[in-house]
Amino acid sequence: MVEASRTQTSLVLEPGSFRDWDGRVFLGGDRVYRALSDLGLADWDALAASDLFEQFTASGELVATEPAGEDVLDDIRRLDPGGGWAGALSHERLPFVSYPYEWTFSMLQDAALLQLRLVSAALAEGLMVKDATPYNVQWRGSQPVFVDVGSFERAREGEPWVGYRQFCMLFLYPLLLEAYRGVAFQPWLRGSVDGISPTDFRALFTRRDAFRRGMLRHVFLHASLERRYADRGSDVRGDLEKAGFDRKIVAASVESAAALVRRLRPRPGASTWSEYDQTCSYLDAETAAKEELVRRVVGQRHRRLTWDLGCNEGRFSRIAAEGSDLVIAVDSDRAVVDRLYVALRNEASTSILPLVVDLADPSPAIGWDNAERSTLTARGLPELSLCLALVHHLSVSRNVPLREVVRWLRDLGGEVVVELPDRSDPMVQRLLLGKRADAHPDYSRETFEQELRSRFEVVESLELASGTRTLYHAVPR
Amino acid sequence: MLSYIDPGAGSLILQALAGGVAGAMVAGKLYWSRIKRALRLGRSEPDADEPRS
Repeated sequence: MVEASRTQTSLVLEPGSFRDWDGRVFLGGDRVYRALSDLGLADWDALAASDLFEQFTASGELVATEPAGEDVLDDIRRLDPGGGWAGALSHERLPFVSYPYEWTFSMLQDAALLQLRLVSAALAEGLMVKDATPYNVQWRGSQPVFVDVGSFERAREGEPWVGYRQFCMLFLYPLLLEAYRGVAFQPWLRGSVDGISPTDFRALFTRRDAFRRGMLRHVFLHASLERRYADRGSDVRGDLEKAGFDRKIVAASVESAAALVRRLRPRPGASTWSEYDQTCSYLDAETAAKEELVRRVVGQRHRRLTWDLGCNEGRFSRIAAEGSDLVIAVDSDRAVVDRLYVALRNEASTSILPLVVDLADPSPAIGWDNAERSTLTARGLPELSLCLALVHHLSVSRNVPLREVVRWLRDLGGEVVVELPDRSDPMVQRLLLGKRADAHPDYSRETFEQELRSRFEVVESLELASGTRTLYHAVPR
Repeated sequence: MLSYIDPGAGSLILQALAGGVAGAMVAGKLYWSRIKRALRLGRSEPDADEPRS
């Protein structure tokens, strides 16, 4: 293995990596470093010697990892003198961190299946995965990547699947919630960093639901055993070992969980924008004009990160990807984002990361000290934002004043391509239905242009053929 | 040795109960040892098998 070169910039502690005391993560330049305890180092040696490590690294499903140089370990020890770190690893740094409450159903499902395949592969080689959390999975575009190499440990004889409960709370229950109830899991995961407990999840169902696949075992029985053994400590684990529990039972449980997860399908109900592409009011010529402008801006120079805000089925994300290392394609409609993800996955795309985000209510900072998981904008700002067919939704549907929308776009720091449909636009008219006649007095092309010009330099504007929509390419002042 | 997350006592028992034939044997032994312990201890300290904090 090749030793990592010296860090270019000083290291900073990753605030979300504190839970397991056998490792700690530090960020430095384009690498991620992992400090390991003596025990963590021995577990790493076992992992590094396994076929699993080689196979999953080769397929890109395990983050690329190599031992870090002594200088990195020295830096870590200087930064965290009390840590008692025995070694350090160096990982590739994925371009954008996302969280399960921003993923679609199929993304969480694919992440769950990766987690389960890793547990199976680990068991076959005398290893185990000590936890089961989707926060250990990140994305290379549409490919899930398991990033927590510190999760692998040497298996202990007679030990059950310790991560099973966590698997249920953060993977299985959210998937079942959508598959069996048609309820979006994203707000639930965002609301609780540890997921949904068996007892809470059981309370959402009636006895009749026990007949649905997986429910009796993973939900009903699980919740009732959890209640019954609530005040029993770790003696259960010792008892299981004495009673002859072995890893074949774990392997069978993991297999059956994978079979269940594989069969689940999203049931998002009728979503407003799911049929948008079929029913939208654009004329083909208008779409072509928009594409041409976007392609021109995208082609001006290569960018690292582009955001497509209100991406819908990803038409413009794909154009942006022609001139960007990574495009974050964001929409609040989980059904359309899921369709986009599945399409990208089938193409093995690595340049577009689709995420479910409501821009009027974007991801907050959650977890310990509000620093374990950070806000969307804290994770990397775009050099270019596409903001097409979005402003009227924020401003008219969600009542965000135009001035605020423009201020927010300016705060993103990059260039924008933004579209404004004026009040006479049929879509705006539809959104205004049911509101007072004098609603949204600020919503006009004049106000928008005035706000835009006060914060940006408008390089180009283009009135579309309908005469009700204008596109602007604007650069921050 | 313990892990860094709480595996949940009920969640562990479930793995034996729902673990097919092998799991059922483990669950059987587990409960049999509990019954034996309960009977043996039942003569002297009736509550000793239910530790309370």
